[in-house]
Amino acid sequence: MSVNISVEAPIENQIQEITYDGTEIYQPPLTLSESLAKYAQKIDFSKTELEIKKEELNEDSKSDTDSKEAFQSSLWPWDSVRNKLRNALQEVCVLADVLAIAKDKRYLVLDPVQQETLETKPMVQIYARKKALAGAASVLLAGSEKMKNSQTEAARSRTTLDFHIELLRLRQNWRLKKVSNTIIGDLSYRTTGSKYLQTGTFEVTKAEDEEKTNSPPSSPLPGSTASAKPTSALRVSIPSELQGVAYIEVLCQKDQEDLCTANLTLLGSGAPPTNPDMHWQQKLEAAQNVLFCKELFNQLAKEAVQLQAPVPHMVVGNQIMATVLPGIQLIIALRHSTSSDKKQQNPPPSKSDHDHVLEHSLHQLLREVHHKNTHHPFPHPATGPLGPSKKRMLAGPMAADRYELLEMTKTQTLLEQIVQQAQHFIMRMRTEYVLDTIAKEVKDPLITSHWNTLNSPTQSCVKIHISTHGYDAVCRTPLIIHVGEKSLKCICRDGKVMNMSYEPQELRDLIFCHINQHQILAVQALAKTMGWQALGNSNHLGTGTVEPLGNASSCLLSSPTGDRIIAVRCEPSTDTQVSVAHSPRQDFFPSRLVTERKWEHLGGQFRDVRLDKMEGRNFLHKMELLMASLTSSS
Amino acid sequence: MSLPGNAMDSLSAALKCNIIPNQEYLLQGSVLDQYVEVLLHRLRGLCDNVDSGPESFHDHEICFSLRIPNTAASTPMPMSIFSLRVRRALDVSDTPYQLRYIGQQELGDKNRPTVVRSSIDMACSSTILEFLTELGCRIEFEYIARGYMFRKGRMKITVSKIFKMGGNKPESVEPISQSYLVELSVLAPSGQDAIGEDMRIFAEQLRPLVQLEKIDYKRLGNIM
Repeated sequence: MSVNISVEAPIENQIQEITYDGTEIYQPPLTLSESLAKYAQKIDFSKTELEIKKEELNEDSKSDTDSKEAFQSSLWPWDSVRNKLRNALQEVCVLADVLAIAKDKRYLVLDPVQQETLETKPMVQIYARKKALAGAASVLLAGSEKMKNSQTEAARSRTTLDFHIELLRLRQNWRLKKVSNTIIGDLSYRTTGSKYLQTGTFEVTKAEDEEKTNSPPSSPLPGSTASAKPTSALRVSIPSELQGVAYIEVLCQKDQEDLCTANLTLLGSGAPPTNPDMHWQQKLEAAQNVLFCKELFNQLAKEAVQLQAPVPHMVVGNQIMATVLPGIQLIIALRHSTSSDKKQQNPPPSKSDHDHVLEHSLHQLLREVHHKNTHHPFPHPATGPLGPSKKRMLAGPMAADRYELLEMTKTQTLLEQIVQQAQHFIMRMRTEYVLDTIAKEVKDPLITSHWNTLNSPTQSCVKIHISTHGYDAVCRTPLIIHVGEKSLKCICRDGKVMNMSYEPQELRDLIFCHINQHQILAVQALAKTMGWQALGNSNHLGTGTVEPLGNASSCLLSSPTGDRIIAVRCEPSTDTQVSVAHSPRQDFFPSRLVTERKWEHLGGQFRDVRLDKMEGRNFLHKMELLMASLTSSS
Repeated sequence: MSLPGNAMDSLSAALKCNIIPNQEYLLQGSVLDQYVEVLLHRLRGLCDNVDSGPESFHDHEICFSLRIPNTAASTPMPMSIFSLRVRRALDVSDTPYQLRYIGQQELGDKNRPTVVRSSIDMACSSTILEFLTELGCRIEFEYIARGYMFRKGRMKITVSKIFKMGGNKPESVEPISQSYLVELSVLAPSGQDAIGEDMRIFAEQLRPLVQLEKIDYKRLGNIM
């Protein structure tokens, strides 16, 4: 608290000397004149701008020397100033002298200096510039020419397309991804809903790398040289199990002989070439086809083992055998030929009845399964769960019972569906055969069949007309036959429905019965137009010999005046019998039973008409002639 | 035929085996009206089989609530509110009504990519409305959602516009905002948290058009 604090002014003067006892001797402050001289000394009158810059560079080094000089030249501080001023004066004097001389114009003439002399020749400059530009342009042109040449040469020497462009094209059609340094593609149907486990990966490589390694094996093959067509810059390597050509063969076999056959292949029936120089697109398509066929066969084989069929399905090697109808087997086989054994494994002599429908439907069935796997219905309302079908969503509110729920879970397997289609195919073929043979056998009533063009794989429909040539308007018997999977349904003219089994004989019998009925009905219709009267008819006559199939049908006709009676009897197995009777007997012979002539109106004996001897194109024509003759004679 | 007892047994067995999808993994976001076309376009590119065009929907949802007095003295709330949602499709006929219970949502920590909440839904007939009213439920709110839905594997993406109910007629509705609600959800049995990661990756692909996030309703309640 009691310590005195001395207040000192900051040192303003430079320290000149420090004595040994520590006292500092200050330089006396400059007087006004001295400081003026000092500052005047610093002025550099001849300094130009260039010098200023130079001085700035070595300013630091000079600052020390300046202060020294100031001490030494302190005797005459204005010396430098004086010198400079004198120099300046000298220069000004010289300038004044020059001007004075120049004013006289006797010894010195001042001419204006022509400064444009350099710019007077614009053309020269233009030429120069032109030349320079031309030089530069020629250099550039030469360079571009060189590059163009080298590029065209490269393109000419290597006919292959650019790898990256090829890769871009590949990318447009196939799934690719890059795994570390390799490009891996996927040709499986996984993205479209397939659940087949086998992977379909392939690797994409540049062709050049492999050309060296592949050239020795490819050279012995004649005709497959790369010179003919531009080879692709891109090479796809496909796993060995997907190489080659595969197809699924579908055969319908009756005991041992083939009924029909179908070959399933995506690339047409002809086996595509499997040479190593095949374009990658074809190669990949072939591999994808192999994968598809494998999946299809795998699925079918799995189902064949699991299904509980009345006649168990057999799976042996690459072949599935299923019984379609008694005595008829469906054989589905996977044929996979790799390029190595292609030569000897040529397809066996192709069957004449190649069925594209079965081929297509097998294909379609698996596609449908794929589609179903990916296309689940969306729930409505939107917060509902994804997955269950609309029917199942309704099962709760509609109080579906256990049976209905079980029904919902049932789905038909591929094998069941293809068996059904095969059954239908055979049924249709049999029906066609029966109808055609009957039409061939039976000439008199004409049998025409119209197959509906629109049908489903398991149901089709045929309409049959039984009519007589020249008498279509008089009578026509239509029949409709629905061909199902294992049965036939016939809708008759009168609306009766007949169900038949897969045996073709049943249909044959039915058609014959209807031919008979048609004849009888046609005769009656004809009789009506002729003015005759139908006395009665029966489609199922109980009299006469027992028919091997069906019953005989018959009718009785009487002439307009009633004096003639014609009886017609149609039997499916034998021909038609026609008999004629005269109502007032022309020949009356009294017998023990009929004694008097008044009984003559009872009608006489029926006598057979020998139809085969009669004139006329067909039965109805003959009958018309017969009736006409009997009418006119009365 | 199985006895009812058997059915109960099998149900409890199913619950034990954890095969009933009763957990909903959910991410939500919104997109302004003028950008919804772009979003739909992107979704068409990303999602499964939209070759047939996007599936539209038009639903009416009613939320019922039931107040249950708490008998246990320890709980701080005297009443617990139990809400049920009934939803029906207006555009598709003969679809069932849907009754839905949505549980408390679990946000989880940062590592969990989605909101998880328990969800139980069942189809029912139209009498559910009367049934719930008889039960003592009151209508809390109702709205109409109209939009499109997409599917990508197990994920369901809905882009919907929410409308306020105007009167009793379904035609006189007005939108509640200038944006669409985007929801990405999966219904799965509990414990299948791997699906959350798939959802996060899918949501990434929709950025920056729409930011699908875990929405905390409690925080939203504070904002409003």
